[in-house]
Amino acid sequence: MHELGLVFEMARVIEESLAGEDVTAVDTVVMEIGEVSSVVPHYFESCFPAARQRPLFRDAKLEMEIIPAMGRCKRCGKEFSIVPTKGYCPQCGSFDKELLSGREFNIREVRVI
Amino acid sequence: MAFKVIEIKKSVLDCNDRDAEALRQELKAKGVFLLNLMSSPGSGKTTTLMGTIPALVQRGWRVGVMEADIDSDVDAHTISATGARVIQLHTGGMCHLDAAMTRQGLEALGTDELDIVILENVGNLVCPAEFDTGAAKNAMILSVPEGDDKPLKYPLMFSVCHALLVNKIDTLPVFDFDLAAVEQRARQRNPQLKMFPVSARTGEGMEAWVGWLDRQIRAWKEQ
Repeated sequence: MHELGLVFEMARVIEESLAGEDVTAVDTVVMEIGEVSSVVPHYFESCFPAARQRPLFRDAKLEMEIIPAMGRCKRCGKEFSIVPTKGYCPQCGSFDKELLSGREFNIREVRVI
Repeated sequence: MAFKVIEIKKSVLDCNDRDAEALRQELKAKGVFLLNLMSSPGSGKTTTLMGTIPALVQRGWRVGVMEADIDSDVDAHTISATGARVIQLHTGGMCHLDAAMTRQGLEALGTDELDIVILENVGNLVCPAEFDTGAAKNAMILSVPEGDDKPLKYPLMFSVCHALLVNKIDTLPVFDFDLAAVEQRARQRNPQLKMFPVSARTGEGMEAWVGWLDRQIRAWKEQ
């Protein structure tokens, strides 16, 4: 439900980053979305057209790369994908872990004209 | 057509995180403690504040409140009866407050001669957890009728909070709500979390909560 606000925030960060560059339009935005980032990719995609009211984004398209959530067990050191195990270490069963990836909500790059 | 690829490599929320950190430092320099209070709608935020503010005033703190409940000023009227300085923020349907909106709110409220400002965030357990407001501490209210599985459903909210008030404990006998399970589920995500079972209606447990808050404000102003 907060994806719409995130679309605007994304557009704002891109506009700031492109200030001073010789850019007439954004063709594609490439986003990295972590599996446990609380951004739902499908909703984000549905909200993305809202960015097109901004001049730079009039014909912009969206690409998303989903980053798997990986954890390192603090008890036995095993690295594992946390979503399939609901966060528990598949080796020793501990829940205590360090999150290595999966909370990303990043703008990786933009293809511009 | 030839495209140019520009690497951005920025987190979308970085911008807000930076604004929030700057605001936190400014408030620290002024000795103003900002508490970000979050919850679902109907968890008893306003009643909890009605029980909290007079106890803070009694301890000598000067209190301000920013109400961000969506398009209603009923709560602000209720709160102003406690003697706190109150403003209503009309968030126009936004599901959360970010650091920039919080800053605007603080400017409208005026923080001179205030020790603590309580931000009553929008009633929602998802979005407010994602946006740092610049608060010194985050607290959330979970009320008994909402169920003891909330930490499983909204893990991020429980991770970002320093204090958890479990409200409406006077209704425990009629709900299937396991206080120990909540504690265990919440601590799993956040081992440092302080939990306060309270009933804002009867006043039970409120002293422990206010005592904690009092120590946080003192530490914030002294450091």
